[in-house]
Amino acid sequence: MAKEMFLAGCSAAAYGAALARVEVITSFPIRPYTGIMMELSKLVANGELDAEFVHGEGEHAQVAIAYGAAAAGARAYTGSSGVGVTYAMECYSPASGGRLPCQMAIADRALDPPGDFGSEHTDVMSCRDQGWIMGWAETPQEVLDNTIIYYRIGEDPRVLLPQFCCQDGYFVSHIPGKVVMPEQSQVDEFLPPYKHPHALDPTKPISHGPQIYPDQGPAINLQRAQAFLDTPAVIEEVIEDFNKIFGRDYKPFLDEYRTDDADFVFFIQGGHARTARFAVNHLREKGVKAGMVKLRFVRPFPTEAVAETLSKFKAVGCVENSTSYGGAMKGGNLIHEVRSALYDVDNPPAVTSFMSGLGGEVVSLEEFYSMAKVLAEAAKTGKVEQYVYWVGFDKGV
Amino acid sequence: MAKAVETQNLERVKSVRRVPQEEYYVPGHRTCQGCGPALCYKLVSKATGPDSIFLGPTGCMYVANTSYLCSPFAYPWMHTQITNAGAVASGVEAAYQVLIRKGKYKGKLPNIVVMGGDGGSIDIGLQAMSGMMYRGHDALFIMYDNESYANTGIQTSPMSPYGANTTFTPPGKAIPEGKVLFPKDAPQMVIGGHPAVKYVATASLAYPVDLINKVRKGLNVVGPTFIHIHCPCPKGWLFDADKTIEVAKLAIETGMWVNYEWEEGEYTYQHTPKEYTPVKEYMKTQERFSHLTDEHIAKMQAFIDAKLKAPGKPVPLPVTSPRESV
Repeated sequence: MAKEMFLAGCSAAAYGAALARVEVITSFPIRPYTGIMMELSKLVANGELDAEFVHGEGEHAQVAIAYGAAAAGARAYTGSSGVGVTYAMECYSPASGGRLPCQMAIADRALDPPGDFGSEHTDVMSCRDQGWIMGWAETPQEVLDNTIIYYRIGEDPRVLLPQFCCQDGYFVSHIPGKVVMPEQSQVDEFLPPYKHPHALDPTKPISHGPQIYPDQGPAINLQRAQAFLDTPAVIEEVIEDFNKIFGRDYKPFLDEYRTDDADFVFFIQGGHARTARFAVNHLREKGVKAGMVKLRFVRPFPTEAVAETLSKFKAVGCVENSTSYGGAMKGGNLIHEVRSALYDVDNPPAVTSFMSGLGGEVVSLEEFYSMAKVLAEAAKTGKVEQYVYWVGFDKGV
Repeated sequence: MAKAVETQNLERVKSVRRVPQEEYYVPGHRTCQGCGPALCYKLVSKATGPDSIFLGPTGCMYVANTSYLCSPFAYPWMHTQITNAGAVASGVEAAYQVLIRKGKYKGKLPNIVVMGGDGGSIDIGLQAMSGMMYRGHDALFIMYDNESYANTGIQTSPMSPYGANTTFTPPGKAIPEGKVLFPKDAPQMVIGGHPAVKYVATASLAYPVDLINKVRKGLNVVGPTFIHIHCPCPKGWLFDADKTIEVAKLAIETGMWVNYEWEEGEYTYQHTPKEYTPVKEYMKTQERFSHLTDEHIAKMQAFIDAKLKAPGKPVPLPVTSPRESV
């Protein structure tokens, strides 16, 4: 019988990394992800995990150390939050363009200003175009599982991409939940040892990252883009294998909750999905046909799955937890992706978005109820009056 | 960090005739005629041999060397950002420590070498370099110093000498000397602030055997080491391409450059001239100083005189100040 533990997201990530037998860990302190490294440093200090623990001199160094280690052939693990994530920005493209599949754990934090410890997805969402696999977990269990799953996906020879393995700061990283601990033997069966096909090895000399001429650029960019085109099929395979070995029931891309006869759904990623489930339950009790669709990967964005799934409903409300100032929909980021995915669908649903939980504010049940009012109206009329509602500020929410 | 892995032991080269014939930095690059840093790469590669991994932050030795599909490096080489060479090298070293410990890599620890320009080492790359030195990684950080951001068109760096005409410090009516600041002292920054470092040296292209042996010594030391190499740049300093070695030599004769080793607190000096030549003789060889007046040159001489009085350095000072203009 598998062991059950009561763990917060940070500890779950650390145990996930330890079970994945990470070999080079690189840290720098910033709240709230720090707990992950505190946990791992104990495992290394006690001799429970054989890894090099390297204290980076900042997040920029952390990512550089991680992709250097990945290039040399070691499974590398790092992490950050908030402005730490954006400080390392320069290093993301070299890691993905170099096809160096290290993993970066994220516990989100709002960017400055103003100084704020609260969770907000803007930190990592700002890095979504850097060529990293990216997705959010809803619970500590999903954090632990994703940590292992992401390594398997990223290290697949068809993929070879680094991964942002994300959880909401505090809401997930610091609130304990029940975690079924996998057996080490299960993880070893699922995740083979890391082996990079083009590692820095004196017995097989190669040059990484040379200077190119501009006309060589498109072909190289296309290769990285192709990796993302090939990744969804790998994700499906990997999730199926994971479910089989670990006895879980993950969907590869979209987790639907009470959507069978739903008129409208909340489209959401990360920890606030937990509240959304309760909101849906309460709305259902009142006879409102609400549902929820949780996004598990924002990169690669599952365009086909989103088009197919969301076109079943009359209205969709993207619950945004990140900003895209001056963007086409004048609010967050998810709505851009969702509306693009639905563009060619016959009879698409009405799509709007809700800015909520920015700065780490709780997205309360009441907020979901007011979003539901807007969505119920949109489902009835078939159109939205605004592309974005700032919840608590705009009329009607 | 347990440092139990087996490391290499590179032999001392006795004379220039004993320098390995094999080239590990081979044709296929497009550096300038007379390029000091390219010659530096060639000598360093002869010193390290093929059981090595090189990290090359952005700079001349990235852009001019690594045209895609045409690499001159006969060992594994990876580009790093100009900002993060020390960090990437740390990651590579940490990876090899754990891979060797776990039996996943069977050989000895490869020579892990950063070839950073002055910017990638001591300016924008300073933080990562310092991090690597502080943490005790078993790697060698070489700063090939051509005293400017040369690749981007000769802009001032913290290593550009006082009075240099660079494209960011052009001399003009308001600022007649061009560059007004004096350079950083890179090896002293490493020595002074990094207790894990046991070996730091400076070397010059004018003395290749000394350079090779310092590289080998640095690599044989277990832990981080730093070598600062003076690499004259014909294009940036504006002298003829066949004068690279002469300029390097004259730098030593004038005290512009001092070759020394620092081993666990002890200094030894090499190639110290019996009597220093006034620095104006050095400055005369390069057009980047051609706008300077006597007053500026005296300022430069005073800077050098003071530097030669640095701790551990008992040398006769030059007695004459320059009287003529260049």
